[in-house]
Amino acid sequence: MKRLSVPLLLFLTIACTHAQAQQTQKILKKSIVDHFFSCPLDEMLDTLSLQYKVRFIFEREPIHGMDVVEHFFNEPLIDALKLVCKQNDLQYWIENDGTIYILQQPDDLDRLKQLNAMNKSLSAVKPKMLEPPKGPPTRFMFSISGRVVDQNTGEALPGAIVSVRNSDVNTATNTSGNFTLLNVPADTCVLEVSYMGYQPDKFRLDDEKIKGSMVLPLFPSMNALNEVVITDKKHGVINTDSKKVSVLQLTPAALDKLPNIGERDILRSFQLMPGVSGTNESSSGAYVRGGTPDQNLVTFDGFTVYQVDHLYGFYSAFNPNAVRDVEMYKGGFSSKYGGRLSAVTEIRGKDGNKNETNFGGDLSLLSINLYGETPLNKNSSFLVAFRRSYQGPLYDKIFGQFNKSTTTTGPGGGGPGGGRGFMNQTTPSSYFYDFNAKYTYSPSDKNTFSWTYYSGTDHLDNSRDLNFPSFVSSYSSDLKVNDYTKSGNIGTSGKWVSTWGKKLFSNTVISYSQFNSDRDRGTTGTVTDSGTTTNINNGTYEYNRLKDLSLKSDWEWQAGSKYKVLFGGYGSYLDIKYRYTQNDTTSLINQHNNGAITGGYTELQYDPNSDLHIQPGIRETYYSPTGKIYTEPRLSATYHFTDRFNLKMATGRFYQFTNRVTREDILNGDRNFWVLADKNNMPVSSANHYIAGFNYETKDFLIDIEGYYKQLNGLTEYSIRQQGGGPFNASTTSTITENYYTGNGWAKGIEVLLQKKVGVYTGWIAYTLAQSKSKFAAYGNDYFPSDQDVRNEFKWINMYHLQRWSFAATWIFSTGHPYTAPLGSYTINTVDGNKVTYLTISDKNAERLPAYHRLDLSATYDLLKVDGRKIGSIGFSLFNAYNHINTWYKEYTIQNNQVVTSNVNYLGLTPNITLSLRWK
Amino acid sequence: MEIKIKHLFFCLLFGMLAFASCQKNSADISIPNKPVVVGYLIPGQPISVKVYQQKALDDTATYGAVITGLSLKLSDGSQTVTLTESAKGTYTYSDAFLTTGKTYTLQFTYQNALVSAQTVLPAKPVNYTATKTLINLPTGTGSPNSVDSVADTFRWNNPDSLYHVLVFKNDETAPFQVSGRGTPLVNFTVNVNKTSEYQIYYRSFNYIGTYRAILYGVNKEYIDLLNAQSGSSSQNLTNIPTNVNNGLGIFTAMQADTIKLTLTQY
Repeated sequence: MKRLSVPLLLFLTIACTHAQAQQTQKILKKSIVDHFFSCPLDEMLDTLSLQYKVRFIFEREPIHGMDVVEHFFNEPLIDALKLVCKQNDLQYWIENDGTIYILQQPDDLDRLKQLNAMNKSLSAVKPKMLEPPKGPPTRFMFSISGRVVDQNTGEALPGAIVSVRNSDVNTATNTSGNFTLLNVPADTCVLEVSYMGYQPDKFRLDDEKIKGSMVLPLFPSMNALNEVVITDKKHGVINTDSKKVSVLQLTPAALDKLPNIGERDILRSFQLMPGVSGTNESSSGAYVRGGTPDQNLVTFDGFTVYQVDHLYGFYSAFNPNAVRDVEMYKGGFSSKYGGRLSAVTEIRGKDGNKNETNFGGDLSLLSINLYGETPLNKNSSFLVAFRRSYQGPLYDKIFGQFNKSTTTTGPGGGGPGGGRGFMNQTTPSSYFYDFNAKYTYSPSDKNTFSWTYYSGTDHLDNSRDLNFPSFVSSYSSDLKVNDYTKSGNIGTSGKWVSTWGKKLFSNTVISYSQFNSDRDRGTTGTVTDSGTTTNINNGTYEYNRLKDLSLKSDWEWQAGSKYKVLFGGYGSYLDIKYRYTQNDTTSLINQHNNGAITGGYTELQYDPNSDLHIQPGIRETYYSPTGKIYTEPRLSATYHFTDRFNLKMATGRFYQFTNRVTREDILNGDRNFWVLADKNNMPVSSANHYIAGFNYETKDFLIDIEGYYKQLNGLTEYSIRQQGGGPFNASTTSTITENYYTGNGWAKGIEVLLQKKVGVYTGWIAYTLAQSKSKFAAYGNDYFPSDQDVRNEFKWINMYHLQRWSFAATWIFSTGHPYTAPLGSYTINTVDGNKVTYLTISDKNAERLPAYHRLDLSATYDLLKVDGRKIGSIGFSLFNAYNHINTWYKEYTIQNNQVVTSNVNYLGLTPNITLSLRWK
Repeated sequence: MEIKIKHLFFCLLFGMLAFASCQKNSADISIPNKPVVVGYLIPGQPISVKVYQQKALDDTATYGAVITGLSLKLSDGSQTVTLTESAKGTYTYSDAFLTTGKTYTLQFTYQNALVSAQTVLPAKPVNYTATKTLINLPTGTGSPNSVDSVADTFRWNNPDSLYHVLVFKNDETAPFQVSGRGTPLVNFTVNVNKTSEYQIYYRSFNYIGTYRAILYGVNKEYIDLLNAQSGSSSQNLTNIPTNVNNGLGIFTAMQADTIKLTLTQY
């Protein structure tokens, strides 16, 4: 490992292997300084360099101006270095080649690196970056396998690019960080590894490595600021991302650079990309390419998450501190995934630090977020993260908005709150918490077992006192309306990742997910009327449970240099209960459905030559409630026209067996729950995707254009309407009307992404031209715009980096959402002589809300330690900076025979501060 | 894909053209111009049909402007009569004309389009009884949500599960309110649907005096109208069902039987 070092001018070079940074660390820790320095800092560094054989790079002129007068008595070298850096307001940074850079500002690193490279090329003796081969090659055309991990935490890095230098042999690591390379030319070759946010590195093959499964560690780059936050493609000359169509990837590490309202948010960040609607402030769920959020499969470490929202969609259910990386497939996805019509979001949790204990957290005006991670022993690690919202200064503002906030337009003035009558308005108290835990155990290189637990719950307490103005003197009451809603998701999964030799990998997950949504609403108290006191206790109770027990096994077989076969099987048992009862006795709805979904898939990844990649697949699913088998053929292909220009296409058929439906409740807010498709009322829905596009990528820029057309069949709208009941009409039992509307739809669009990937200024422009229409017999024979239909959506994301600061400005513009408007009203006398006023309405969704636009700003200041590592940040953000009033929907109330229109608006200007810290 | 989009596009275009050309032939009236028709055919009462316009959203009048000068024709399949405009916008026919089970069709021309509605006269309720006709409301039930007991039970024959509604009408000139529940409606309708029995609770009564409990045998179109809600937000607005072609409102027949109740509280 250690080689003879060659002093060169004032620097000292060590021939490095990949462990050179560690070697330097070791020297810094182990070497003891016992010396009196009274000289300029540069001279001290030169002395240290010669004496301890470490390599310092700095700008001599300013450093020369800094004087050191210090006597070190047997102090570790690292302490001496920290001291002088602190005294002079400097930072040091150890790069993966073991070089120590002395920085006045974080951005100096790039310049110093160039300086270093120049010195190297000028110098007579080149520093050796790699071990030379131990001898002439002895083995040819063999295969190797291994794993790419983070040097500091041991966390696997999925999607890292591994290539053999000077050849076109390359691959990307799979979801567990594993890779296989076939036909490696010789055993003296060099592997080049790169991954977003990490320093690219090179590794020389040797006998030892090629025998087993090698581990290739990467060092994080000093400043991930210049990296792309969300990307369609990762860096790398050729990488498998261009073999995928409609994929977005995200690592939460850099999310604090984007403006946020509550906290950095994984699912909301995707809303900044083309094809994912960015105007639904009330939902974290993704509206992908004209689809609805329930058409997007969201999985966390293998289990399906049924509720992705917290606090009225303001937060997504996933704690960024517990997430390693996220991939979203906007359509045409692999036959590995199924069960949803539009999209797949796969979230993978962090394993926890395998090398050292660490903890940290975030504090914002709305929530607190804490996590800790630790190795338990040599083979296992543990991570735990917890979040909870509290009623901070932002709470009332946000909650008031999402609960009830109106501005009245139109004639007659009049107040908001249709149907609320003279009930007292109070701000309900609400909070959420979520908890993540993960245990990872790797008994060997070949097997890893992990266990994930997630629990997220929203509590909403809308209880209030209810006292009617009395017109009768003998009457008084002391009544309380209890309105308590609890909803959430619990999920757990056990995962076994195994390497069966160099060419076969498997990933088996057993999981359980439970969605629950309960609402207990009622009135309790006493009423005194003419001297008689009566106890009151009645109400309604709503109960929804979805239980999903699943087993899934995914296999990857590198069958040959041109063939890779993916196959697997899956089975789920779903059990859904929905009960709606009144006064503990009357059952209004009582559904209990269950069903099994089982099947298998296979997919071939075929590369007939280095330019063409074809990926046909098929998925067969048996669904027990209908007793039928559903076949889903899939196909995607990419063609590398030139190094920079790729063509891509995808098509496929997709089925969905579970739907999220809405119970309309005009007085108390709509309720969502999940139901299973059946033979009668709820058909199994299906979709066909047709996607084609191209991208053009240079070192700095990426242009990506995709067009899609999506047919949707068997869409269901299921609504439950309630008559009677409620506080004003308690004597009558509610009657329930269940409406099943089925229909079809289509969506089409073009997405354009222009991205600047590197530099102090980065960002992208995303434009989507789209159309989404539906046809439901219940609304007529014509196609009408779907609720999520938006014609133009434009997003402009700007990020600017300046030393420790990073600034971001995102501007979102979208043409208005469609809505249904009243055209007039009419009043009818019923036979009891009462008058009822009705609205005549436009065609379904015939009108458009005004355009939506907003500007979000943020500034983040990085907290760096003296060794250049980031230990936190302070973020300031302004949501909707110019306070544009964006309309969410309109409300209509009849007052004094007039129809009064009120706009219910989205959030106005909202500032926030977030403090993030971590121990190491 | 391309072909499909084109195909769809032409389909849509064709559909739109077809729709537009239909409008020219005046078969349909646009939604805002549709007349509102309200007519109840009840044996023993003169036939009276009101026709009026819809109101603009900011109109403070109770009803829209009446539509006068129409020629309303009512047919029972064999005989057709013309209603006379007894007051502006109100068209009446006073002779006995209604027979159980017969289908009645109302027709008139408005804005060069034919407006029509059809209804069948349901049977008169049979064996309509109440367990009590004198009801004394206990004190202390005037609260909004008290647990209380059955005040009266109404029964009738309904072997074929036909639709019924129970209408409670107070006959006092100034009904006296006994509950503290705001200002509830004096007269009210209970949708008893297809049952043959209804239990009314004390709490349902907010006023005392003489009430008529009228049981109507009705048609589904009336039940649909009672159940309908326009919705209150742009996210859930729905059209109100109507049995009037090219119009809005209701044209339906019903037959009634009445029980008189006396309500007291002491």
